Amino acid sequence: MHTGLTIWFTGLSGSGKTTISRELEMRLRERGVRKLEVLDGDVVRTNLSKGLGFSKEDRDANIRRIGFVAKLLTRNGVLVMTAAISPYRNVRDEIRMDIGDFLEVYTKCPLDTCIERDVKGLYKKAIAGEIPHFTGVSDPYEEPINPEVVCETDKESVEGSTDKILGRMEQLGYLPPAGAVEYAPEEEEKVRERLASLGYI
Amino acid sequence: MAFGFLKGLRGGAARTPRVAVIGLDGTPHSFLQRLVGEGAMPNLARMLQEGGTLERMDSVYPTVSSVAWASFMTGANPGRHNIFGFVERKPRTYDLYFPNAASLKAPTLWQHLNEHRRRMVVINVPVTYPTREVQGVMVGCFLCTDIEKISTDAAVVRWLKEHGYRIDAETRLAQRDKGEFLSDLRTTLDRREEALFHFLREPWDYFQCHIMETDRLQHFLWEEMEQGDARFAPEFMQIYRRVDDILGRVRRELPPEVPLLVLSDHGFCGIRHEVYLNRHLTDEGFLKMRPGSSELLSDIDAAATTAYSLIPGRVYVNLKGREPAGTVEPGAPYQEMRERLRTSLLALRDPEGRQVIEQVLRREEIYSGVAADAAPDLVAVPADGFDLKGRFRAPSLFQRSHLNGMHTFHDSMLFCDRPLGSAPGSIVDVLPTLLDLMELPRPEGIDGRSLLTR
Repeated sequence: MHTGLTIWFTGLSGSGKTTISRELEMRLRERGVRKLEVLDGDVVRTNLSKGLGFSKEDRDANIRRIGFVAKLLTRNGVLVMTAAISPYRNVRDEIRMDIGDFLEVYTKCPLDTCIERDVKGLYKKAIAGEIPHFTGVSDPYEEPINPEVVCETDKESVEGSTDKILGRMEQLGYLPPAGAVEYAPEEEEKVRERLASLGYI
Repeated sequence: MAFGFLKGLRGGAARTPRVAVIGLDGTPHSFLQRLVGEGAMPNLARMLQEGGTLERMDSVYPTVSSVAWASFMTGANPGRHNIFGFVERKPRTYDLYFPNAASLKAPTLWQHLNEHRRRMVVINVPVTYPTREVQGVMVGCFLCTDIEKISTDAAVVRWLKEHGYRIDAETRLAQRDKGEFLSDLRTTLDRREEALFHFLREPWDYFQCHIMETDRLQHFLWEEMEQGDARFAPEFMQIYRRVDDILGRVRRELPPEVPLLVLSDHGFCGIRHEVYLNRHLTDEGFLKMRPGSSELLSDIDAAATTAYSLIPGRVYVNLKGREPAGTVEPGAPYQEMRERLRTSLLALRDPEGRQVIEQVLRREEIYSGVAADAAPDLVAVPADGFDLKGRFRAPSLFQRSHLNGMHTFHDSMLFCDRPLGSAPGSIVDVLPTLLDLMELPRPEGIDGRSLLTR
């Protein structure tokens, strides 16, 4: 792969960003993508953005930092996945413009389902008022208007959502289509001859 | 609801239900019925008398083996499985590649069997190359050109080599000498038969062997058969007699409780004209080629092109945002372009005034699923006898060649040596039926329905 790409996951806490990004990472590695980096929101907040809170200003700063690192990696040919809530549309769009090779994946999931899942127990605390500025509960989430991929994680399997992203990457030319890489040149020539002799090409 | 009589067909309680399938590539339902009626296929006729079913079935669009067998093995329309022809465009380029099993985007019968720990023997089914690891034996198809790679099992490859197995008949011979081609085809069928009966004795829960030779025969000798050619018509019939022998012998070697199914992926008919759609698109001002003689899609003059065609009958709009140098805006201009193309294609007449294209289907009418974005914008469905071709610089719209048989959509067939609950609609119904026979659950995300129920 010659060009880098940022795959930007956005969605509510518990909507599946981390789960799908892990599956996607595995599948991309299986397909031979070596230069790959995941910037997970929860991880970033313990180092790159340590000390930042959850006010609009701090959130924007956090996302801009992730975006900045993603940009550096992308322009050096790395495939970057970011998995942070990134609730504000204008900052996401600003980063999209800045990076260029940008694929936005919206993990769409009803708030009720996320609350039901509550993998990290955060919604319970947020609803009880223990966590202020919690996206979906006490802070807004702005849906993307035109994301490259929408994963409806309350309806689709993790594999199905991952297939969608892989398909979109192929379609946009960021990933060679599966199968296109399976023939060596001399083998491809023989297949061509066989198909041609049958009038199939 | 399953019928009472199907209980026996589903097998006993303790035993894992087994199924055997023989694929006959391109064998038309109508032709097979005729042969049965004429007494030319006595084994098949006997199985029909003893309660078997022979049904007509629809194929897929576009009607070629790779697309149809991909729909067979996934139970899904091409919009889900991602195979739309023998050549495909690499996304965001005008370059082409040859799709194969690695291009499939929907789970296959083989994956379902693996998942449920059922052993399989699968030989030569189109779109099984690159060959994957399975529990059992898998011998890949004609998309493989190297016998060393036809199976991941070294012992299987060794057996095949020792017994002179052939992946496919040498179809290039047909242009030079049809007699020589037929002799090569018979040898290929001999070796296929030998492999079939060798691996039939392996342990399996699911067995499938694919006979490609019927399709190859029909591409080059359909006209001779229809016209009763003194030399080739009897040789043509002899091949079908051999196929009937194989079916009879398979039935005799199977335990009585194991059902035998036979199916084809499309029908066949003679060729009146080869039709070079890109010639038509060029003449009508949709397509322009750069100076030169190359037959590559990448040699279109993209700035002056609004549409082009890939074999057979797949038409793509040169769409902005999708194609590297698109000229047609998405939205209303795209829709208008498609309608202009439809009108133009439907108006096409042959020199005798016959309508060439029966219908022009829009992608959304026939495809849906994760791979639907890769689908052609339009699929032209020809009248029988008009073989749609994909060359870019054909000197004339209508031509003939040494190929004289072509595929048809409505005339593929499904045989089962016992009654079914209902008749098939299309080839996507076979997968859920096979899984039902093996008492395996219906997977999600398929389009077909089991024929065991009414």
